[in-house]
Amino acid sequence: MDQSEIDALLAAGSKSASQPVVAAAAPAPPPAPSAPVAQEPHRDPSGHVIAELDTVTAVTERESNKVMDQLDQICRLVTRQQELITGIMTHTGSQEPKVQQAIHEVMSAGKEIQDKVFEAMDLMQFQDITRQKLERILNHLRQIHDYIVDLLGTGTKSEGKRASISNTIAQTGTTPDENKAHADAVIEAFKSKGKG
Amino acid sequence: MKILIVDDSSTMRRIIINTLSRIGYTDVVEGENGKSGLERLGQGGVEMIITDWNMPEMDGLEFVKVVRGQNPGIPILMVTTNAAKEDIVEALQAGVNNYVVKPFTPDTLKEKIESLLG
Repeated sequence: MDQSEIDALLAAGSKSASQPVVAAAAPAPPPAPSAPVAQEPHRDPSGHVIAELDTVTAVTERESNKVMDQLDQICRLVTRQQELITGIMTHTGSQEPKVQQAIHEVMSAGKEIQDKVFEAMDLMQFQDITRQKLERILNHLRQIHDYIVDLLGTGTKSEGKRASISNTIAQTGTTPDENKAHADAVIEAFKSKGKG
Repeated sequence: MKILIVDDSSTMRRIIINTLSRIGYTDVVEGENGKSGLERLGQGGVEMIITDWNMPEMDGLEFVKVVRGQNPGIPILMVTTNAAKEDIVEALQAGVNNYVVKPFTPDTLKEKIESLLG
């Protein structure tokens, strides 16, 4: 959440004092002593946690896309630079061996930049994996919450089933090559079994 | 070759699209879950599917089963965080042709796509 969003929330909060501005920072004010009989709906603490984690994943995804935008932009600039250099290569003066050498070095550096940008883009997969790990934690929290609600016979159960959740995410630190080797071995065994 | 990418993470869709463009596949359509994937598929022209597993509304496994009921021949590659042997076998039984565990490298995706199209 960036400063503009915090400012917007604070502004909204000042207009509507009965609503908490930021769930974790400002709990709902107690009802006035003369409040009518109509009660505020029960505020579910696990609902807060779930909503906050949902916000975290949504904001992380949005910010990840901003990083991807920047990386795309770098790639476009390098491509443009290489087009310009290719144009220079057609000039008569550029046929000097030293100039040619310099041009090739610049082109090579541009290619290296693009490769590094592509590597950075690939590393952004962490966002989706982290999100799914958070969702798995949320699922456990919901189960514990619902169990306690059942046990005590009071409170509100968590909302219904959400996105399907992976229970078998590869362990943190597992390399892409290890993932591939594992999946390939299972596929091979499955295909062999089918043949046999 | 038109490729349908189904994943609820827009970041992941971009990563896959980017990888595909680097290996020469630029005709891509997207869906953010199985349901919207089926809608895109219904519009025609799709020759290959790359799908995630864990998605809201309709997950990848259900999506694959529906697609296989309608189109037994279309190549389907599942790209997911689900890493257990049982999951991989379940996906293959549902009709997935090949399987990639996230995180993956561009080389892995390229190899799998080429093996499906080869």
